[in-house]
Amino acid sequence: MADRVAERPLSPAPAEPHRKPRPPSGGSGLLSGPGARSIGLMAALLVLAGALLASVLVGYQQLSVADVYIAYAGFTGSDTDLVVRHLRVPRTLAGLAVGAALGVSGVLVQGVTRNPLGDPGILGINAGAALAAVLAISVLGVSALLGYVAFAFLGAAAAACAVYAVGSLGPDGAGPVRLALAGAAISALLGSLTSAIILRDRASLDEYRFWVVGSLAGADGAALLQALPFLTAGLVLAVALARPLNAVALGDELARSLGTRLWLVRGASALAVVLLAGTATAAAGPIGFVGVAVPHIARALVGPDHRWVLPWSAVLAPVLLLVADVVGRVVARPEELQVGIVTALVGAPFFILLVRRRRAAGL
Amino acid sequence: MKPTDARAALGRARSAAVLALLLAATACGGSPSSPAPETAGETIRNCDVDVAAAEPPERVFAAYQPAIETAHALGISDRLVGTAFLDAEVMDEHAAAQAEQEYYPNLPSLEELLSHEPDFVLSGFNGVFTDESLGTRASLRELGVESWILSPLCPSEDGRTDETIDPATVTMDNVYADLRDLGTLFDEQERAEQVIAGMEATVEEVAQTLDGRVAEEDRPTVMIGRPSDQGFRVAGGPDFSTEIIDLAGGVNAFADLDGRRNHDVATEDVIARDPDFILVDVCCDARMTSADAADQIEQIMDDPALANLTAVTGGRVEGFTFADRSAGVRSADAVAKVAGTIHSDLFG
Repeated sequence: MADRVAERPLSPAPAEPHRKPRPPSGGSGLLSGPGARSIGLMAALLVLAGALLASVLVGYQQLSVADVYIAYAGFTGSDTDLVVRHLRVPRTLAGLAVGAALGVSGVLVQGVTRNPLGDPGILGINAGAALAAVLAISVLGVSALLGYVAFAFLGAAAAACAVYAVGSLGPDGAGPVRLALAGAAISALLGSLTSAIILRDRASLDEYRFWVVGSLAGADGAALLQALPFLTAGLVLAVALARPLNAVALGDELARSLGTRLWLVRGASALAVVLLAGTATAAAGPIGFVGVAVPHIARALVGPDHRWVLPWSAVLAPVLLLVADVVGRVVARPEELQVGIVTALVGAPFFILLVRRRRAAGL
Repeated sequence: MKPTDARAALGRARSAAVLALLLAATACGGSPSSPAPETAGETIRNCDVDVAAAEPPERVFAAYQPAIETAHALGISDRLVGTAFLDAEVMDEHAAAQAEQEYYPNLPSLEELLSHEPDFVLSGFNGVFTDESLGTRASLRELGVESWILSPLCPSEDGRTDETIDPATVTMDNVYADLRDLGTLFDEQERAEQVIAGMEATVEEVAQTLDGRVAEEDRPTVMIGRPSDQGFRVAGGPDFSTEIIDLAGGVNAFADLDGRRNHDVATEDVIARDPDFILVDVCCDARMTSADAADQIEQIMDDPALANLTAVTGGRVEGFTFADRSAGVRSADAVAKVAGTIHSDLFG
């Protein structure tokens, strides 16, 4: 079934009378059976722990686990202590939070739009956040990080609302194709406005690059703490959406016949995506690829059931982001490559490998 | 053949002849970056491009702060047809002259530029003369416009940018050589010599004060840069900052970063290098002064990750401007300013 849906991802899947219309499960994915998936998830969590550790230890100067321990247990205010507490750890936690948010929001967008290329960008989130931040900096002269992060978040929400409103015009309401088209059009519009402002501005190239290519380097503990409630709300919402999204995957009509309120699922998904991807973009700038690729990787591993795809994406996306960030710190020394540049570099080979093995797993 | 082509060809032929003569006359000695200006009759060489010098240019467009200030300093304000892209307030003595100029906050388009019918574009930086901007110097010559890049920013080849600056050319002597050449070109030799003498005197005074009082190993390390989203954007080796700091009795803390003038470095890099002084080079507005660095200075002083920096604990994070780290007529004053900051005990 997964393969069949994948061949015509945008069309409503006709009902299969011989099969009970329960969420897609079993059979598909490299890891079949709940046992393998659970054990696999544990293994993935260990890999994530490894990535977190690497992100704390690897950088301009290499640190040891002891250095990190001392920074918290026996803080003396040494350079190493400061680097650990104010640079490495906030940056690592940002990678974890931003990665999980991007991965989960990617699953939600792909699930609700049934578009295999869906990512938060398709709802205009990145473009809205970037434009709002650039406007805040250039027009209002906002300079503090916390100041324009708030604007970025508002921009993300406004863009998503605009996409949803435009996508809902007409008698049929917001269908997947309409949402995707509206998102692409509004993203392009917002993107060109951002470019126009950046190109007109003088000191622009340095100051705004962050809003063109995302980066974790500016992560700051206080801003992360502020973002936490939004991320938590988004994740809780995503967990609640896992079952309804399985129904949506069967096609609009079948989902409706199963008693799914499509408008509610779509609205809640959009809200969760704004919360997750909006916060991620506000904290780290627009980071592509993670939101598109990780859900596919997760699906290739555990099949199309959102109850598995969501947790797997929440674990794999930060792994990808953190590894990309560590690579970015090492390859261009003494300078750093922004994580937004490296994610595709690191993730694409895995992506291609899995997609080739599995064909595009169904949505 | 179009007249301009003919002129260009003739120019090339002439320049080849002049070059041959020059080579013959000065077979040994003399650095290639400072051709003897007195003998330059038909062309003067600038960044490996021969600039026609038979007639002084009459309609000059000055792009960027160093070029604008150089034009005013040489007394050719009345020959300016347009100015573009200031990084900070112009030097006090040129404020009145600049106030009367047509001014573009950004570089104009090629069409806009040509509407002023310039016969000469004087540029403070090399990015202007690329295909992405106004075009290469060769392409401008085909339009009848001669051009000049201040020599400490010479790219290795016409149309290239910062990546190809030869660090050996990033010297104050090359600023003087440029002023001398431009003085000849504009037939303002006396004025040029006056400017050079004034700058030399300022730099010499600093050197005298420092002489014997600062041992080579005691030179303070100085970082010129500003906070960015990546960490910091700093002036690297090939930037004129390195020369300014050197003449002021310091060492550029990032002198080893080559290949480009500006480098994005991680905050950890700054912590590891621990510069003795941080000069925050605010940029890019015609009304900007070093006082505008206040916010960014506060940001650095309050950053918990930077709490151990020598510059932070010692309160040695100071305001500066991007304009002051550029090569040009204000460079001598910049040397004095930096020296006064990093050797405040010697310059009371």
